[in-house]
Amino acid sequence: MNILGKIAGLLAMSLTLGSPVLAADWAPPKPLKLQIGFAAGGSTDTMGRIVAEVMKEQTGWNIVAENKTGGGGVAMFTGISQRPADGTVIGMGVNNPVLINLITRGDTLPFDLDSFDYLGTITRAQLGIVAKADAPFDTLDEMIAYSKENQGLPVAFDAPPQKFLMEAINGQADAGFRFVSTKGGAENIKLILGGQVQVGFASGEHLPYLKSGDMKLIASVNDERHSYAPDIPTVMEAGYPVYVSPVFYFATVAGTDPAAREALATALANAMKTERVQEVVRNATRNDVMNLGPQGTRDMMDKGLENIRVLFSD
Amino acid sequence: MFDFASILAGFGDVFTLWNLGFVICGVAIGQLVGAIPGIGPIMAMAIAIPFTFGLDPLPAISFLVGINKGGLVGGAVPAVLINTPGTPDAAATALDGYPLSRQGKQLKATKMALFSSVTGDTVSDLVLITVSAPLAALALMMGPVEVFALVVFAFSVIAALIGESVVKGLIATVLGLFFATVGADPENTTPRLIFGHYELYDGLPLISVAIGMLVISEILRRLALQGRAAVAAVQTQVPASPQDRRVSWAEYWSCRYVLLRGAAIGTVLGALPGIGSTAAAFMSYAATKSTAKDPESFGKGNIKGIAAAESANSAVVGANLIPLLTLGIPGSVGAALIVSAFMIHGIQPGPLLFQEQGRLVYGLFGAMVMANFANLWIGQVGLRLWVRVVRAPESLVFASALMLCIVGVSMSTGGIFGVGVMLAFALLGYLMLVTGYSVVIFIIAFFLGPQFEISIGQSLALMNGDLGRIVSYPIALLLLGLSVFVVGAIALNRTRQTRHRANHPPLATGENTDD
Repeated sequence: MNILGKIAGLLAMSLTLGSPVLAADWAPPKPLKLQIGFAAGGSTDTMGRIVAEVMKEQTGWNIVAENKTGGGGVAMFTGISQRPADGTVIGMGVNNPVLINLITRGDTLPFDLDSFDYLGTITRAQLGIVAKADAPFDTLDEMIAYSKENQGLPVAFDAPPQKFLMEAINGQADAGFRFVSTKGGAENIKLILGGQVQVGFASGEHLPYLKSGDMKLIASVNDERHSYAPDIPTVMEAGYPVYVSPVFYFATVAGTDPAAREALATALANAMKTERVQEVVRNATRNDVMNLGPQGTRDMMDKGLENIRVLFSD
Repeated sequence: MFDFASILAGFGDVFTLWNLGFVICGVAIGQLVGAIPGIGPIMAMAIAIPFTFGLDPLPAISFLVGINKGGLVGGAVPAVLINTPGTPDAAATALDGYPLSRQGKQLKATKMALFSSVTGDTVSDLVLITVSAPLAALALMMGPVEVFALVVFAFSVIAALIGESVVKGLIATVLGLFFATVGADPENTTPRLIFGHYELYDGLPLISVAIGMLVISEILRRLALQGRAAVAAVQTQVPASPQDRRVSWAEYWSCRYVLLRGAAIGTVLGALPGIGSTAAAFMSYAATKSTAKDPESFGKGNIKGIAAAESANSAVVGANLIPLLTLGIPGSVGAALIVSAFMIHGIQPGPLLFQEQGRLVYGLFGAMVMANFANLWIGQVGLRLWVRVVRAPESLVFASALMLCIVGVSMSTGGIFGVGVMLAFALLGYLMLVTGYSVVIFIIAFFLGPQFEISIGQSLALMNGDLGRIVSYPIALLLLGLSVFVVGAIALNRTRQTRHRANHPPLATGENTDD
């Protein structure tokens, strides 16, 4: 995109957002921290660092990416909620760990959804239930029937919402799934390939095995089907009104000056429009960039909180 | 299965001056950050990844592999010279390396560490290059029940390091396991012992605990001993003779079985994610000590101790790439960072990698071989510089080390909280040191604790809560049987030694064999 195009884009955006001049003039008064709620080396970290890099080039701001681990972003957002609202920090996290802690331990947390101004999302993980290609079931219903016949099927999971979802199915269909807790999607894949469990959750780690024909997707756990497997139905379509849809999002301290807030949201949006960021996002999550924008992100969090409340109450 | 065209093309791609330059830069950076306590190769790789985006995949990944490999060599340098391991992996190297330094043999000790490290690394790279597919199949067979048994076996081997008092050793183990339970429990993610600090939700930061216990506590101990006069950090009592400054071929050759065993332990543990390079180094050290003819000489400056530790911890790095390249499963944080570099460049490690990207994979193997040579050359030059650095006055060396630890830990844990944890554990480490509890045993228990806990939970879920079903896991049974045997042998050995000592009282040395 040429410079004129960029300026036109910025102008168009600032006009629609309603505060034309201020946002473009604003710059962080000190180095802007992009805090990543996960450890170095994961997909969140990979995406966060490239966004910081591209933003820095595009805006000329001094941007520092740093990892703040603990509770899937809870530690990071706890820290951010205590900071002054001066537009010098952006937190990057995933919706579900934060939402679950708000539901289960909300009274002990120093923040709630209103403690933040939301800036945008970067993508959504396509989470699915996968099995080895030769497993004696192809659909969720067949898997449930198989579990009943065999005194309960062990399922490898790596995050609480996945367990809640399967427990909801257990409650509704008396499927008797058992739970093997792991440290991530890659370990779930390892247990499936090694034959220790027959099914598990994966959000992209399984794609090379779909391609090689070693594995199959049983169901999408998101609220929609996966882009690479439009024929495989979701858990909701199979008749269980539950879903898990991890979304990677950006937020800053609530009460940040609207000009600063918009400048940050615009800078993030512009970075996410570049081919460099889009390529890394595709490579890291096997999904396209999806920026819901500030209001869309807030709506996504509100809707997500309701969904987790439903999941947890089952 | 070998496609010679892609092997040749891969090696042809990698052996260029451009790539060699990246490998050398990576190794040099790795050795430097490895030698600085607290920063370490992992942090350096995380920072370097965005800069590799503009590069082609091959130089980018070669660069990162260089940092990783260099870091393991670098970590041994301060461990040997001032008893403060630069990375936790090198803690076992300090056990015999530091006593050698005190005898004025610091160059011999650091060179032995370098040669052992490169040997272990080369062996595991050869295994990776030639037989990664069968080893990956082995890794898949090791399910949660087998990993649980393997952790038990690791504990039993390491029991040989428990020191003079069994009770104190057990207390150190239990303390280590206790601190490993801090954070969310793996089954229901209920936070335990975090006292409102969500920074602790994922457990105590490993690097803070390791650096606090191993490095800061040692600095505190040395400060407490310090008088007013400025003394060199390493005092060479006698001018070092030429034999004490180099490793002769005969010395190297006498360690061949030790090196091979270390490389084998490192390679197997590297191929099976979960145990890690620190525990591998201690397992190899303990195995060498308990099978040696002269176990008493360990901890007092036996080069075999260095050979055992360094060959094992370096072998883990190459072998970590076995599950990574063949299955897409990272065996360590370092490997996870390499996956992330692969992903940035649109390459998916996993079953199709060798078919789709064979040329790149063999290029990577070529880069690993280059990195081993680079390690050797840069190490030879670098060691002389490092050895000079620690001749500086003690007050200067320890003050700088302290500052670097604080900076490094705050960088890698993302803030001052990690530094606070480090200082708290430094105090605990110091108290354990002066009261004769083994810090080393504590650290191993702390490192193995989380894997121990999660594999127990997984095993129980798989066996449906019925422990009797373990009979259907032959590998696990074998490992558990071996553990009982090893503990029995160690106990027998101890009683024999105690009796021997009772009959032949040793000359009073005042040395504490635990540290």
